[in-house]
Amino acid sequence: MITAHSLTKRYGATTAVDNLTFEVPPGVVTGFLGPNGSGKSTTMRMIMGLDAPDSGSALIDGRPYRDLPWPVREVGGLLDAKAFHPARTARNHLRWLALTNDIPLSRVDEVLDQVGLTTVANRRAGKFSLGMSQRLGIAATLLGDPGVLLFDEPVNGLDPEGIRWVRNFLRALAAEGRTVFVSSHLISEMSLTADRLVVIGRGRLIAETSVADFVSRSGRGAVKLVTPDRAEFIVALSAAGAKVVDDDGGSLSVEGMPASGIGDLAAREGLRVHELTPISASLEDAFMELTADEVEYRPSTMAAAAAPAEKE
Amino acid sequence: MTQAIQTAPLGHYRVKHVARAEVAKMLTLRSTAITLGFTVAVGLLVTGLVTNAALHHGPDYYLGFDPTQAALTGLIVAALSGGVFGALLITGEYSSGTVRTTLAATPRRPVLLAAKIGVTTAAMVVFCELLSFVSFFLGEAVLSGGGAPSAALGSPGALRAVLMSGLFIALLALMSFGFGLIFRSTAAAIAAFVGVVFVLPLVMHGISEPDVRYLPTQILTNSVMATVHVGPGGIIRPLSPVVGLLLMVVYAAVVVAAGAALFLKRDA
Repeated sequence: MITAHSLTKRYGATTAVDNLTFEVPPGVVTGFLGPNGSGKSTTMRMIMGLDAPDSGSALIDGRPYRDLPWPVREVGGLLDAKAFHPARTARNHLRWLALTNDIPLSRVDEVLDQVGLTTVANRRAGKFSLGMSQRLGIAATLLGDPGVLLFDEPVNGLDPEGIRWVRNFLRALAAEGRTVFVSSHLISEMSLTADRLVVIGRGRLIAETSVADFVSRSGRGAVKLVTPDRAEFIVALSAAGAKVVDDDGGSLSVEGMPASGIGDLAAREGLRVHELTPISASLEDAFMELTADEVEYRPSTMAAAAAPAEKE
Repeated sequence: MTQAIQTAPLGHYRVKHVARAEVAKMLTLRSTAITLGFTVAVGLLVTGLVTNAALHHGPDYYLGFDPTQAALTGLIVAALSGGVFGALLITGEYSSGTVRTTLAATPRRPVLLAAKIGVTTAAMVVFCELLSFVSFFLGEAVLSGGGAPSAALGSPGALRAVLMSGLFIALLALMSFGFGLIFRSTAAAIAAFVGVVFVLPLVMHGISEPDVRYLPTQILTNSVMATVHVGPGGIIRPLSPVVGLLLMVVYAAVVVAAGAALFLKRDA
């Protein structure tokens, strides 16, 4: 369990994290969602005791990170895929890390195997691709078999297979009863991985809720209709009370009538249907709607008071 | 609450755990072997060249000649590479991002710092003492082989000079480690180290010649390495070996303390 209470971090005049309060419960994957520069990484660094908050607190099972007796055995954090010395081999990187917390060195080969790096264990980690580096970072988080795991943008730079691997992996960790907290700016990824969401913008909490809730909160369902009989459909659907928008590219977007209703109507009217797809409001739509005012770096607004660059 | 996935040992991580990890870190970097290997090779080469150049001179040359000091000259190379080594032990962590992994694994910074300083000091003392003895024996072998005046460990002041020289280089490396803590960047830390150790004496010569004796390189070559003080002596009157060494302890302590103060309160 991770609890953040009134967490605040300022860099000069900029407030990177602003009075943030949220909980990350065990047993589910909690997504940490926000636009770039919204304070996700800063928040994660404060949870892991790397940065000190200006006020408020972040606790791991009720304790500040710095008070944990065996941090690596309690928390696994992947905040930076390249947080290892490039000249050291993957195995040697994990070995010193194991020594810090008196973890049996046999764990090193176990976790290397778990992430699929056994064959490159004796290669210098600096030669690794971003995907391999991410795997090494994930191996490091597993080393102490911790109950709490934090991942900052773990799928960045991964190929589709790697992304799927991480996704299943995170879900498996949560299913084992662990606390899993994953940040991302990739909304579609979060919709597949996370059960719960903590959404922030400009360092402030926007929502703390389940993914389903978050989507339905902003959702209006629509149905995509592809047909050669567009004009006839527009007349018929409008007459039936549905709202029809003629999308560019030859499809119609129908609101106010479910796909089944449209199909029935087509049968009655003898109109041809080539495709009928319900479009539920995506997490992306919900996110854009909620964070519309909270995006720090937006093209064309030319934010004059540039905040210090934050690594995401 | 989070269920216990595994059972951790009682107690908590201590300096000994972190120290073991720091030793493992040091031994698994090629830069360690390269830096120390370079130091041995070039240091001994310098000692060989300097002692060889002291052969076959007239009797006047050997008036005030200090065979111990000559045989330890190679340690000046170690002063430079020891400085590089000391700085890299911490700046290498910052430049690669390893420091965040380190601090996440052992977040109590005083514990981490104690382990790092302990391991750095121990490693440098052992290495520099070994190098100091090897350099001494090599130099004396060259001198005695060429028929020039030479010293043995039993000669007055010789053992003291050999032991203190190794210790002195270790202190220089520790000071450089302190610069690494302060600047967190390899280039800046090494620039500061070279500035203080190798550039400042040149500047000081122009400002206040007698005060050059308080500077590390002067202490090393003319107080710590030397066993013979003969002749009229210039404007620079060397400090006694003990005073010189203690002054170096103060220098290293001040820089490391400043670095430690920053390290303890700075965000990673």
